[in-house]
Amino acid sequence: MAATNLSMGAAIVGAAESNEIGYPEERGDKVTSLQHHIQAIKNVSDYTGIPISDIEGVFSTGWSVELAEHLGIRPHYIDTTSVGGCSFEIHVHHALAAIASGIIDVAVVSHGEAGWSYRGAGGGGGGRGEMSPGAEMTMAYGTFGAPSQYAHAMVRHMHQYGSTVEDFAHISVVTREWAQKNPRALMFADASQAEVKLGERTPNPFGGPITVQDVLDARIIAWPLTLFHCCLVTDHGGAVIVARPEIARSLRTNPVWIAGAAESMAHQNMLEMDDFTATSAARSSAIAYEMAGLGPQDMDMAMIYDSFTVTAAITAEMLGLAPRGQGYRLWKDGDAAPGGRLPINTNGGGLSFNHSGMYGMQLLVEAYRQLSGTAEDGINGIEGKQTDSHTCVVNGTGGTLSTTGTLVLVSDD
Amino acid sequence: MAYNKPIPRKGQHNQPFWDGAKEGKLMLPRCTLCGKVHWYPRLICPSCHSTDLEWIEGSGEGRLHTFAVQHRAFGGWAEEVPYVTAYIDLNEGDRMMTVLRGVDPNKPEDIKIGAKVKVEFDQADDDTHIPFWRVVEE
Repeated sequence: MAATNLSMGAAIVGAAESNEIGYPEERGDKVTSLQHHIQAIKNVSDYTGIPISDIEGVFSTGWSVELAEHLGIRPHYIDTTSVGGCSFEIHVHHALAAIASGIIDVAVVSHGEAGWSYRGAGGGGGGRGEMSPGAEMTMAYGTFGAPSQYAHAMVRHMHQYGSTVEDFAHISVVTREWAQKNPRALMFADASQAEVKLGERTPNPFGGPITVQDVLDARIIAWPLTLFHCCLVTDHGGAVIVARPEIARSLRTNPVWIAGAAESMAHQNMLEMDDFTATSAARSSAIAYEMAGLGPQDMDMAMIYDSFTVTAAITAEMLGLAPRGQGYRLWKDGDAAPGGRLPINTNGGGLSFNHSGMYGMQLLVEAYRQLSGTAEDGINGIEGKQTDSHTCVVNGTGGTLSTTGTLVLVSDD
Repeated sequence: MAYNKPIPRKGQHNQPFWDGAKEGKLMLPRCTLCGKVHWYPRLICPSCHSTDLEWIEGSGEGRLHTFAVQHRAFGGWAEEVPYVTAYIDLNEGDRMMTVLRGVDPNKPEDIKIGAKVKVEFDQADDDTHIPFWRVVEE
């Protein structure tokens, strides 16, 4: 295999421990796992003279987003590989790859585990029983799950840009329209098509096209989000295979090339969201577009995580597909709809296709199908679903508008 | 009636806040190096990464940044629906979450972003006085 030679691509330039190692109970108060992380990072920063603000990549066993938030840094390489005691050697390996390939210049690999202080707090130590300091200061205030938080972003968007609940409702309506072309979509209707395409499956009584009024009239979950502004919760799985170019060209399937790729984050807890109308997709997409040598104007279609209508609207703005404050217009004006200038979420989206909790894989599956010309392969599509797209920007969002990953995918002409 | 909603957890990093809350004071962490106030309480300044932090008594005043009206809740909060959750821009800088008082959850259109708010404390148990914010007249 002719991989790029990573040898000598990076070096370990310093090392440090946290301050209160051993049996902290002998000194009184318990020390948390987070404290060990922060102490160690501060110490190695002081030792090397590399400011914490220079860190671009954070590698840890599951802690990286919390660490970056706590440090007030915004890494664009986030690794939480957690595979037991050898994890940290693996982190160094990953950091080498990230650095040698030019994604980042400075990475921190961090470990903190109050294995003694919290022994018996749920098995094996590892800091169980702790809570992040941000969560401690928001847990009292009656939010439950994603909709209760995302609603705050929608209200701020409405305030800042004069958008309305009705504007956002168009996203639900158009996305449902796409679902009518996908018999596998949970909200695929109508009864006549269902007989032909669904086989044994019982048609969903709530499926079929919806109107803006339907969205407005639906049950309120967290104002201004009604039920139809919210994604589904379903069982779902998926997979893609990525291969090097020589292999990709030798297969009978059509390759879809990864022209650009990047990731970023803004916060873990919404308490730390600087701008409720923006996500880190602005940064991740800027990097991905640059890598691809393409811009938003070059995209034929988009697959955008639509956990809520507001997620899709804001993300479209961040991806440069619409001006700030006007992301919803892509749907309201019909651009994103079947036959439109810029088809978006052609599988019916998380809003009307499927959403298992972590929906990002389905974005990839549909982007592959569209760009490879197999969106109407007799399994997943019916007439009218296949677009003539050769370029697609794919953007996943995690947490509470917290983390983002952007891909720019292209197919051969 | 005993307080029946989640009670915040406490630790070394935020104990001065809860000590102040008992006396009706909104204590805020501030970096002695760069002088910036941050919220939530941290082990390190998120602006300049100094670990030399201090606590100051805040004004207890701020402005409404954004909000939502919760119609679906669990536990003690389920009895309260609908209620307004909100993020508050502190006069001293940075932002705090709360359940907002002094507003009508059934008239969200009338709730004004930018409205002046003041803090008040509810006693949840012997050690915990939880801050809540209320919209007040200009």
